[in-house]
Amino acid sequence: MRDDAQPRLAATRRRLLVGAGVSTLLPLARPVLSQGARPLRIGMVTSLSGPFTALGESMRAGMQLLLSQSGNSMAGRSVEFLVEDDAARPEDGVRKARKLIGQDRVDVICGVISSGVALALRDVVTEAKVPTFLLGSANDLARKAASPYIVRPTKTNWMLGHTAARWAYDKVSKARVLTVGSDYAAGREYVGDFVQTFQQLGGRLGRQLWTPLGSADFGPLLTTIASERPDMVFGFFAGSDAVRFLRQWKEYRLAGRIPLVGPGAFFDQEDVLPAVGDAALGAVNAFNQSPTAPASANFNRAYMAAGKPLPGEFSTNGYVCGQTIKAVLERVEGDLSDWEKARAALFAEPVDTAFGRIPFDPRNGQAILDIHVNEVRRSADGKMINTVVHTYESVRDPGPDA
Amino acid sequence: MGYAIVQVLNALSFSALLLLTALGLSVVLSLMNFINLAHGSFYLLGSYIAVFWFASGAPWWLAFPVAFLATALAGALLERFPFRGFYARTHLMQVLLTYGLSVVFADLMRWGFGAQILSPELPEPLQGVVFLLDMPFPVYRLFLIGVGFFLAGILWVLLDRTLWGAVVRASVADRGMVETLGIDTRRVLSAVLVLSAGLGGVSGALGAGMLAAYPGLDEEVLILALVTVVVGGLGTFRGTVLSALVVGFALTFSKVWFPEFANVVAFSAMAVLLLLRPAGLVAPRLRQV
Repeated sequence: MRDDAQPRLAATRRRLLVGAGVSTLLPLARPVLSQGARPLRIGMVTSLSGPFTALGESMRAGMQLLLSQSGNSMAGRSVEFLVEDDAARPEDGVRKARKLIGQDRVDVICGVISSGVALALRDVVTEAKVPTFLLGSANDLARKAASPYIVRPTKTNWMLGHTAARWAYDKVSKARVLTVGSDYAAGREYVGDFVQTFQQLGGRLGRQLWTPLGSADFGPLLTTIASERPDMVFGFFAGSDAVRFLRQWKEYRLAGRIPLVGPGAFFDQEDVLPAVGDAALGAVNAFNQSPTAPASANFNRAYMAAGKPLPGEFSTNGYVCGQTIKAVLERVEGDLSDWEKARAALFAEPVDTAFGRIPFDPRNGQAILDIHVNEVRRSADGKMINTVVHTYESVRDPGPDA
Repeated sequence: MGYAIVQVLNALSFSALLLLTALGLSVVLSLMNFINLAHGSFYLLGSYIAVFWFASGAPWWLAFPVAFLATALAGALLERFPFRGFYARTHLMQVLLTYGLSVVFADLMRWGFGAQILSPELPEPLQGVVFLLDMPFPVYRLFLIGVGFFLAGILWVLLDRTLWGAVVRASVADRGMVETLGIDTRRVLSAVLVLSAGLGGVSGALGAGMLAAYPGLDEEVLILALVTVVVGGLGTFRGTVLSALVVGFALTFSKVWFPEFANVVAFSAMAVLLLLRPAGLVAPRLRQV
């Protein structure tokens, strides 16, 4: 028996070694085979399962739209687009990013929804020196975690919390403002930045309520809010929490009685508004994205022509990310080998995107964005639509100064 | 005062929802000793059915029987294959089977209904609100409380007070003895599973107005239902009812008093409860043959 087993084992081992040899040689062979017009490989890390599934699908659709509009080529190089799912878990994100870098040899990484994943990827891409167009919105991404290899073509939480406070103080209420938020990193930042700016302006706050992420029932919280009778509520919830909160906000007859203000993700055009009927009517939000902003008009048309609804933040993010990558490539004639040079070319001049004309802050690669104040209004066809009522121009995250 | 009353009603409405989902899970678990982790999928399917039914313009109240029948049918098919082959297997095998199925169903539903969050447009009569001493409380939640406890009552009568219920309980206690009486126990057990699936669906249809419907909700609901069943004690009907009330009130009032630590407070309370009464609130009488 043993004599018989021995050679077979050796045979499999040999076969294994041959297989391994061929597969390690392949990536090395590729550049030699197709020298000159090597395609540009863009790897996207996003959430295609887990809590941000719908957002991840929108982000991918936004990017795909830009690629098909550009005929799958940027600055004369054909583009290969690879997508990996991080399931909104940092450890998965890191694993997938390492796979994209090590195995797929991507030239550029983009994407990410969860700030937890974004912060985890920061070190991976910085060590590997891979140019990364990183979304996610934790303030630290523009501050402590800024990296010379990371460009941030989206907002930070501070940009929204801060502008919402300015608007609330000037136009809504200076006192008796209650805050309610989802108790996780993004909620803490949005509400914290709102509170800080609001108090600096001289506003006075009422109670501050927090509730765990993923609350099934907001009834108890809404009853507490109803009994507090505040002059205004600043709130932040995302995804299914936002949908439940807003629907129940209406069921408990708070809609229309107490002004509701929040960062834009709370009233996202694509993810939240279609699911809440008219419950959010009249609510106001500060956001870098609005389907009624003039810069977004072309993108809206193209996105809806692809059978999608009116775009929200993440489809626009995906698209803008693509526009930024394209702009960089065009400025360096498709040659990303000198990232230092490419980065300088990006910072030298603003980029025209669906978020408007955005300059990048050379200190941290963070986009300087126009922040719109959107009011949820009923459009001509009866749909709820985030309508720009005011724009704070060129809002810049304090970055390393914070 | 109005505030306190409304918070109690909030707790009751959440308890009613817990009760409905947990009952479906508990009849199968306690009567058949079968762990069905795909129960959350029945719930979510029921929610999707309600969302589309309300949008279709058909008489709204039919959504609940339709959700019941549709998920009961799904349950009947699953019962024939593969559940039936696993009744006699160990719990671990049942967990592997039903968890695997729940992952498959989650993907199927995501494919069929999309990944976006859907929430039903509630029918006119349920959209109203009552003011209790100046505090608003939605009519829909009163409806939830009413229907929840009504269905629980029916189920209790069915299982505890009818001959059929006695046969079900007897089949679990000693299947061989019941067979010798000329009763086809396989059919009895199928009926229980179908009933459980239907309950899952109808609770999904009822709960859609509160929890909406989206991928991932199946797991969230399953966890709440499991907590309720375990706190209540396996094998008792009264236990599940009592536990739904305890869990509902704990989760609600922890949100009222310590909104920041709501989950920690509520689930620590439940952990302490289980330490004190490891068999659950109402420990089942051991049936030994």
